[in-house]
Amino acid sequence: MQIESAGFTKNDLAKYPFLKETAEYIKPLGLQIDDLTSMGMDQVLKRAEERVNEAIIYRSISRSIKKIDLEILSFPVALLLVIATENSFIKKRYALAEAKQASSDLVNEPKEKILKIAHDFDWKIKLTTKENWDSPLEYTIHFTDYLRNAAHLHDKKWKLTNSILSHGNIYLNKKDVVRLLEEEIRRHIEKRLDAKLPKYPAELTVIAERVKKLAAEKIGPTETEGLPKVVVQAAFPPCINALFEAASSSHHLSHIERFTLTSFLVNIGMPSEKVNELFKSFSDYNERLTRYQIEHIAGERGSGTRYTPPQCSVLQTHGVCKNRDDLCRRIYHPLAYYKRKQKLA
Amino acid sequence: MEASRDFVYQKFCEYYRDPSTVIPAPVLLGQREFAYLLFKERFMVRHKRFDGISNLKSVLSETVPSDVYHSCAYYENPDFDMDKKGWLGADLVFDIDADHIPTSCNKIHDEFTCSKCGFSGRGITPETCPACEGTKFETKIWPCELCIKSAREETAKLIDMLENDFGFSLDELHVFFSGHRGYHVHVEDEALRSLDAMARKEIVDYVTGLGLRLFEKERVNAKTKKANEKFRLHNFGWYRRLKLGMKNIIANGTEEDFKRIGVKDTGLLLEKRQAIIDRCIDDGLWGGVFGIGDGTWMKLALYVKNLQAAKIDTVVTTDVHRLIRMNGTLHGKTGLKKTEFPAKNLQDFDPFTGAVAFKKGEVKVLVSDVPEFRLGGETLGPYKNETKELPVAAAVMLICKGRAKVAN
Repeated sequence: MQIESAGFTKNDLAKYPFLKETAEYIKPLGLQIDDLTSMGMDQVLKRAEERVNEAIIYRSISRSIKKIDLEILSFPVALLLVIATENSFIKKRYALAEAKQASSDLVNEPKEKILKIAHDFDWKIKLTTKENWDSPLEYTIHFTDYLRNAAHLHDKKWKLTNSILSHGNIYLNKKDVVRLLEEEIRRHIEKRLDAKLPKYPAELTVIAERVKKLAAEKIGPTETEGLPKVVVQAAFPPCINALFEAASSSHHLSHIERFTLTSFLVNIGMPSEKVNELFKSFSDYNERLTRYQIEHIAGERGSGTRYTPPQCSVLQTHGVCKNRDDLCRRIYHPLAYYKRKQKLA
Repeated sequence: MEASRDFVYQKFCEYYRDPSTVIPAPVLLGQREFAYLLFKERFMVRHKRFDGISNLKSVLSETVPSDVYHSCAYYENPDFDMDKKGWLGADLVFDIDADHIPTSCNKIHDEFTCSKCGFSGRGITPETCPACEGTKFETKIWPCELCIKSAREETAKLIDMLENDFGFSLDELHVFFSGHRGYHVHVEDEALRSLDAMARKEIVDYVTGLGLRLFEKERVNAKTKKANEKFRLHNFGWYRRLKLGMKNIIANGTEEDFKRIGVKDTGLLLEKRQAIIDRCIDDGLWGGVFGIGDGTWMKLALYVKNLQAAKIDTVVTTDVHRLIRMNGTLHGKTGLKKTEFPAKNLQDFDPFTGAVAFKKGEVKVLVSDVPEFRLGGETLGPYKNETKELPVAAAVMLICKGRAKVAN
């Protein structure tokens, strides 16, 4: 087992077990799903369960570098374990915790290692040359790699509009590169957790049940709390009010406006029949089509998924966001506004 | 009316059946969804898949649709239902249409008629009918030179950003006249294909200048605990554009310009143009000239932003499943074809000659009302309730626009 990976040290692979090279490294170890219960694997299973538990409880994952092979192997096994829980909360939480842990290790790495890890994710990234710009922004990355990760971050500072963009590249400092890498790692792990397995070994199912129980205790009622049961118009966000009024006074709504209003009303529990009533005042009202659209958005037809309204930033892009107020500045989604306003009332 | 539609259908037939008609194949044609609008039934056939351009051409010459589209997206199974297609990626596309741009012609050539009460008027279609408050209108719009010129200016701004900020070479940008009142820009770069709707939204926000931050937080005030915000711009991306634009307006603006922008002390700006440019913009000492404060800078910056933002259709670019008109096919509302030309020729490409599909023949039509227009190198009109022998291209356009019918 003296295979030293060409680019990374064994220590790196233990710290960043999601790297492509980790897979190369553990291949010769011959890990099989069915092997999980075999001799020597109980240690790996134990550490895998520990990883997942820590993610749920602390949102971070401790590092144990004493037994490096065990540490490296426990990562893919932890992934299997999380997949076996078939629980979206645990999946999200685990990916987040691994990413956060990696991020806190990355800030202490030298530039070259950060580049290497970014290259492992196929980023087009390089160090800013002196001739280019004499500044603390040491890295330049291609805007597509930036967008894949920054587009989902809420803080205004990540908007492409405000970035230091020139000829396709964006200049960044180390802290920001690490933050984007954290996002890349989180998305990468979430994607791997999307995999489906035909069957799980019995041993794994038992542990998965334990983990699920822990998660249920940990999440408590706050995460699962839904929206109020009755429709409270006084708590509508300003954008929805504007659409609601436009609809009531039979103004024409664009496709995205209609979608936003309908999905909002459906999601706060207005029955399809009542939404339909509202649209009846439209001069171009078509009973069959409107009913179809509402039921489609409500998930009563087609793929069965219920659509939620677009988030605030999307509504801004398309000019649907109107009359922003103080509460708007503290939320990112019209449904969050509705929930919050209810609580304030 | 039937005879006029038949005439147009006949001409579309000739176009699609003519062996010399060139319809370029889009890249990865086999992974795209195709769709077309049937001429007579007005029904959209969707979810079609073709292995090659020759298959597609033979279907077009058999069915002769009024409009042909393909997806910007690539799919594993382009002919499956939407949720089973297997999205693989999509080109980045931009649509600039005069409909979304305020133009100097004020769309005076467009007509609207209320579907409910029949009230009609000219110009921009109102939201509600002044007579009966109905909201549905029949519209007759006209692709005038000023409309297309405005769309061209917006396209020029977009191309400049794609080239200088996003780093695409002009050869990588596919620029088209849409066949009606605007332009399309397609970018097929592989690095862009996998971008999701949120990432594309960020590109849209960049192009339209949405969310531009003009103030930077400085030190937090120890007493009030509030961060001081100072006007500050770096030298890249949008900020480079703002600085150049502000220099330009300060150097050349008239008193009227500054008043319109909302500057209070216009005299100071007019007197100390060069000092303000040197000290404040070039040296970055934004407070360096007494009397020109953050408020003035913000007004100037917002003015420049609105001038330089490209007015694109935001929905088209963010939709990763979008259908877009196919290059080389005819537009059902004009009979002009969607036509590609090199990005560097944007200002020189004349849609009214370059996108003309019907180059032969003349036909007698009864024209109801049309302003003067140019087509295929000829200037025609204005006509009002008269019978005229017109070139086929002009006759097709007028019939498609509902402003003429074939004379018996």
